[in-house]
Amino acid sequence: MQLKNRRNAALREIGTPLAAATCALLGQSAPGVVQAQELMPWDIDTSMLIYSESDGRVQDLSLNLWGRKELREDKFLGLTLAIDSLTGASPSGAMPANVVQTFTSPSGNSQYTVAPGEQALDTSFLDTRTALSASWEMPVARLGLLSVGANLSDEFDYTSTGVNARYARDFNNRNTTLSFGLALANDTVSPVGGSPIPFSPMLGLGDLRNKDGDQSKDVTDFLIGVSQVLNRHTIIQINYSLSQADGYLTDPYKLLSVVDPVTGNPVGGPPGSGRFGYLFESRPDTRDKQSVYALLKRNVGGDVLEVSYRYMTDDWDIDSHTIEARYRFNFGASRYLQPHVRFYQQSAANFYTTVLFAGAALPAYATADHRLGEFDGLTLGLKYGQETSRGSEWSARIEYYTQSGNASPGAAVGALANLDLYPDLNALIAQFSYKFGKR
Amino acid sequence: MKLVMKGVVGLLVPTAVALAGCARVEPWDRDVLARPDMQIVADPVEAAADEHIYFSKEASSGGQGFGGGGCGCN
Amino acid sequence: MRLKVLLSIGLAMLCVAAVTRAAPPPALQPVEGRVIWVDFWASWCVPCRRSFPWLNSMHRKYGSDGLQIIAVNLDKDRALADAFLMEVPAEFALRFDPAGALAKQYGVQAMPSSYLIDLEGNVLATHAGFRAADTAEYERAIRDALSKSHPQR
Repeated sequence: MQLKNRRNAALREIGTPLAAATCALLGQSAPGVVQAQELMPWDIDTSMLIYSESDGRVQDLSLNLWGRKELREDKFLGLTLAIDSLTGASPSGAMPANVVQTFTSPSGNSQYTVAPGEQALDTSFLDTRTALSASWEMPVARLGLLSVGANLSDEFDYTSTGVNARYARDFNNRNTTLSFGLALANDTVSPVGGSPIPFSPMLGLGDLRNKDGDQSKDVTDFLIGVSQVLNRHTIIQINYSLSQADGYLTDPYKLLSVVDPVTGNPVGGPPGSGRFGYLFESRPDTRDKQSVYALLKRNVGGDVLEVSYRYMTDDWDIDSHTIEARYRFNFGASRYLQPHVRFYQQSAANFYTTVLFAGAALPAYATADHRLGEFDGLTLGLKYGQETSRGSEWSARIEYYTQSGNASPGAAVGALANLDLYPDLNALIAQFSYKFGKR
Repeated sequence: MKLVMKGVVGLLVPTAVALAGCARVEPWDRDVLARPDMQIVADPVEAAADEHIYFSKEASSGGQGFGGGGCGCN
Repeated sequence: MRLKVLLSIGLAMLCVAAVTRAAPPPALQPVEGRVIWVDFWASWCVPCRRSFPWLNSMHRKYGSDGLQIIAVNLDKDRALADAFLMEVPAEFALRFDPAGALAKQYGVQAMPSSYLIDLEGNVLATHAGFRAADTAEYERAIRDALSKSHPQR
């Protein structure tokens, strides 16, 4: 019998059982010992993300580590670590004016000024955030999968701890999967200088009379979803989620400008403070959100199309729509190019108001935080990935994110009509990732 | 908008249930669905980064799920 | 020798069933001489990768006792199966069934799936999936089948 190489040996026909038995005997090494179970090795992803807003606003540099390891057969440990370094300025909620404005920093120890016509950006905004998470995933009977996890994130003035559990069960010969998820989180906020009493005025340098202590909130998230294989090339997923937040939901650093209802100019603040009138914002202490999410993923001749839609509504009267699409052009087995587009639209919270008018009755709640305002967001991105000869993969993506919104109706009175009450947000996102080994 | 919400849920859920009965891809025909780029969350690191960015800049968050698809092995 | 000739005919029928796409697969023919472990696998199936070293060891251990392992590949692209075999070599017999006709005939419910067949062509045991934790049980089924087919052993 001719000596064949491994490849041919694997392809031989069984017409000669005797020859086959002989080959097997010749190839034998360890007699009758089952080979040691080889568990999948560590699966590690690393990435660096840069988020940079224009006009001197927020800059974020983030380093991330993601790992997954099979510790026992079909049982996986997942670990993630993220370190974020935030710098730059953030809008305080106060509106621009035709005069110089002076603000006391959150700590009360310093102040910053904003030139006429300029956006009121709080420049004392520097933080490092560390976030860790761990998860354990295991099968339940043949068709179920259970995952439990915990997460912790910490920054100078904010700590969040949470636990989560997820269960997925397959049906219809694994064509259908039903999923349930529950997450509980407790967040503690220790604002620099203390948490301001809602609707209290901004006071002068060193004056912390209106500041209180630490605050906390609890968040409960629930998700139910169905994944369905439509055909050999297509899968869809539909999820419904519920989120309930309870506790301190106000942003301790955000304010609202109090202006004259006719001239639009800022009115005077508390006597002796040396400030105009700014009131710290106030938000309700509960928030209920619901969302419906649908995803379609389809193989198109070797490429992948992904389209998703999410509708969110909450009891603050915010409604949002998110439509996202990605198309991955696969070039051979090792390179891809993936354009990405995302449309976002949200309506303002019912207590969102650009400014407060002097003399008018104070509403129950008020915020000028643009994140709760009415705006449209657009993201355009491109990602390129390549597999290396060793089976690792690196990828780079660049995205452009822009938000443009509207001030609340009736806010642009007097001088405010010529000022930018809702500046566009323009951000550049760049992420570079490296995945070790074979996936 | 609340009506749209009810309509969306009212339409999608029965559709999903109805679809569940129609499609049946055999276990050996899962080759395409087993590909890493065909997973529900193909890149968890990118998904986590985006979730963090949009959570910080917008009023909505989450919604995306987990589980399903893939090779359907074992 | 006569037993082996009959086996060859029986297995050749399995071979024909695998490559014929148009004609419906014939019912499992009774074969004589061995206990057969039919294993359905594909290159994209992670547990299949894990099962091959164990199948190789079963082949070495019980091959001379009468165990015949036939691994039926269900990849649609033969090149993927070949690439898999370069990394995870098989010492046992292979069949290629890209259209899935044989898988359908056997009623495969999971990947991988295995069927332990006796001398009369009866299916003695079926396993959906492969788990290292269950290999003792798989091996016990093989030993039982072999002892029944070769009572003098």
